[in-house]
Amino acid sequence: MVNFKKITLENGLKVLVHEDNSTPLVAMNILYDVGSKDEDPGRTGLAHLFEHLMFGGSINIPEYDKPLQMVGGENNAFTNNDITNYYLTVPSENIETGFWLESDRMFGLDFSQKNLETQKSVVIEEFNQRYLNQPYGDAILKLRPLAYKVHPYRWPAIGMDINHVAGVDLENVKEFFFSHYAPNNAILAITGNITFEKAAELSSLWFGPIPKRTISPRNLPVEPPQKEARSITIEKDIPSDAIYKVWHIGPRNNPDFHTLDLITDLLAGGESGRLHTKLVRDKKLFSEINAYLTSDIDPGLVILQGKLMKGVEIEYADNSIAEVLHGLKDITNLQDEMEKVRNKYESSTVFSNTSILNKAVSLAHYELLGDPDLINSEVDAYRAVSGEMGADTAEKYFGLSNCSSLYYKSTRKGA
Amino acid sequence: MMNSLQRKQPPVFPVERVIIPEVQSLNLKNGVPVYLINAGTEDIMRLEIIFRAGQVRERLPLLSSTTNMMLSEGSQNYTSEEMNRLIDYYGTFLNLSPEKDLAGAVLFFLSKHIEKVLELTRELIFRPLFPEPELNALMKKRLRWFLVNKEKASNQAIDKFFESSFGKLHPYGRQLTEKDFESMNPSIIREFHSEYYTPDNMTLIISGKIHPRTTELLNHYFGEIASVKKQKKDPEIKIRGKASKEIHIVKDGAVQTAVRIGSPTINKRNPDYPGLKILNTILGGYFGWRLMKNLREEKGFTYGIGSAVSSLNLSGYKVISTEVSPKNCSQTIDEIFNEIRLLQNVPVSADELAVVRNYMSGEMVRMFDGPFAIAESFRAVWEFGLDNSYYQKLSEKILKIDPDEIIELARTYYNIDELYQVTVGPNEKEVS
Repeated sequence: MVNFKKITLENGLKVLVHEDNSTPLVAMNILYDVGSKDEDPGRTGLAHLFEHLMFGGSINIPEYDKPLQMVGGENNAFTNNDITNYYLTVPSENIETGFWLESDRMFGLDFSQKNLETQKSVVIEEFNQRYLNQPYGDAILKLRPLAYKVHPYRWPAIGMDINHVAGVDLENVKEFFFSHYAPNNAILAITGNITFEKAAELSSLWFGPIPKRTISPRNLPVEPPQKEARSITIEKDIPSDAIYKVWHIGPRNNPDFHTLDLITDLLAGGESGRLHTKLVRDKKLFSEINAYLTSDIDPGLVILQGKLMKGVEIEYADNSIAEVLHGLKDITNLQDEMEKVRNKYESSTVFSNTSILNKAVSLAHYELLGDPDLINSEVDAYRAVSGEMGADTAEKYFGLSNCSSLYYKSTRKGA
Repeated sequence: MMNSLQRKQPPVFPVERVIIPEVQSLNLKNGVPVYLINAGTEDIMRLEIIFRAGQVRERLPLLSSTTNMMLSEGSQNYTSEEMNRLIDYYGTFLNLSPEKDLAGAVLFFLSKHIEKVLELTRELIFRPLFPEPELNALMKKRLRWFLVNKEKASNQAIDKFFESSFGKLHPYGRQLTEKDFESMNPSIIREFHSEYYTPDNMTLIISGKIHPRTTELLNHYFGEIASVKKQKKDPEIKIRGKASKEIHIVKDGAVQTAVRIGSPTINKRNPDYPGLKILNTILGGYFGWRLMKNLREEKGFTYGIGSAVSSLNLSGYKVISTEVSPKNCSQTIDEIFNEIRLLQNVPVSADELAVVRNYMSGEMVRMFDGPFAIAESFRAVWEFGLDNSYYQKLSEKILKIDPDEIIELARTYYNIDELYQVTVGPNEKEVS
């Protein structure tokens, strides 16, 4: 049980606090409700570039990392399609330094031209390293625009074209900051060796004076239902053929989410997952295969990906995936396997909640979803998923016309 | 309102002294040593089973890792499918761990399932059958993984770094070829297993909220198995690095060059090791340290650059890693050497020294935060025949090291002439 209390400051900042005295540390997580989905299609990658700029100095503090390290702290951040999330951990006696640092950069940034130019170049190297200089690194760059035609999930957080990042100027950056970085667009979660009273007092002291800012309401285009199967094939000098398939699902708060999550566990969770058992072990078609949900707030995707064994026909492998998915109708077996994946989910939650940092990230995320109590109650929704629900949900989503496929064919001899 | 707060000045308090927890120890009836770390608030446990059965002990490439990976492929009482299903059914996470020096398994589980978990673990560890069809399938899969991994410039670079700096014959330097994947068969695996996966070669580290029946159950499942104590030694192979220390592998069309610079060095048994860890942090241990600041935050040459010192049983090694645009590669390498020379010649300032002391003290608090972190930290010294007094020494060194000692360490352990320099990328780098 993760006990927590919540307050909202006058400027709109939501603060959630969970006390855990078994650790000498405190974790602090600040979630800004802005992700790559909030970008202009002509200037993508800005939210993620902005995350980098947040470490380049703020109004009163020239440098972020060193003062935090001076008090024994450690930090990092990530950006996805929905959110930009910053976190740190620090020995509890120095948590005020975290408030000092995070409130200052919510107040305002240094906005230096030099920092912007350097970080643009760092992000371009990140793009090269993660997406281009890896054998299948560009898969997500191809899959998103195949599955989404209008919703901004059609580009990844790094951007749809790295030239967009190269073209960002200081005016774009300032405008982005003042329209998205604000106490009334953020959630602060504090967990660990700190009382609620102390955390509330420090929050008001350091974040209280930051003025509310005007956040324009989000008005994203709705992705129309996919009507027919889509596919692309990429021929490339890679070590083996590969298949990537995605299906549209509902938003994160759709009641089918938990069932779908368990279905992907049943398909690909652990060594005993069906895809692994049937396609890797029995039929020996794939060297590895995996399936998971994107867990996006707006309607997301199931992603399935596998690398083929040498000499396996890609069409045959593809049909075999379809057979496994079709086999999800098999309710009798599902009953038994459902218990297994429900247990595994429950146990992974227990393990995850031993970390104060995980608890801080989860609390902020659940608050964004509209209900921080989900940190304790969501497991009940998973517990309630039955075999019949599994079979019905699989049938509902894994239709052919809802699917987009990306095939990698190796041009190498003997692959 | 604003001015009442000191927004320019950080509120700083000294990091509290690190508390290094005690580890309990006992022996099972057959002598197997067990270390217990009883802490935490949730009813969960971590069991680590360790054998000195790593790569250094194998007479054929892949023998040690394959033996380890085959443990879950079927036993006297369970097929691989039943075994994997039960592990998942009981919400347990199993990680097989084939390493350079050691091999074994780590299991995370809910304490209430301890009996079932121990029963399955005994099957995995002491009753595997190593069936041939599963072995053949595994080797085919591993070959595909190998071919895909080999494609990544960063993997090619680190492999070549180990091969060049330790030598092709040294167990840390030996490299795999496609042919090695054909040489495994059940009988050599069984032979390796019966030689090395024995009670006299075994250690258990258990952490979490320890179930009250733990000792009794461990004795029941592992304490009755007997074995004859045999002397097993690591091979005495000298490190023989390549004479030429600059190696470039051409990867046509690559958009980045992977760089690895380093050499074999001392390990945790050497009293200079704590000081070397501090020196390494200043050079490039994390965000904000010298290499990161110079090459990422000032020049924007790379997404990341890091310097690491690692300890293995036969030797330690240090390595600086980065991936950069090919056009900036030679300047990056010059800057890396410049940063090393600065550490050899210019005393670290009082400010920087204060930051490194506090940052590393904070790191040590994290290393002992919770039962599983304590277990991992203990394991990391146990394997060198040390105990948690190593951390006491590290903690003292962090508080007491002075600028002269850092210069001395940089001169002793970062001799530029001894560093290997491996690059993997397009040919443009050749101009340097």
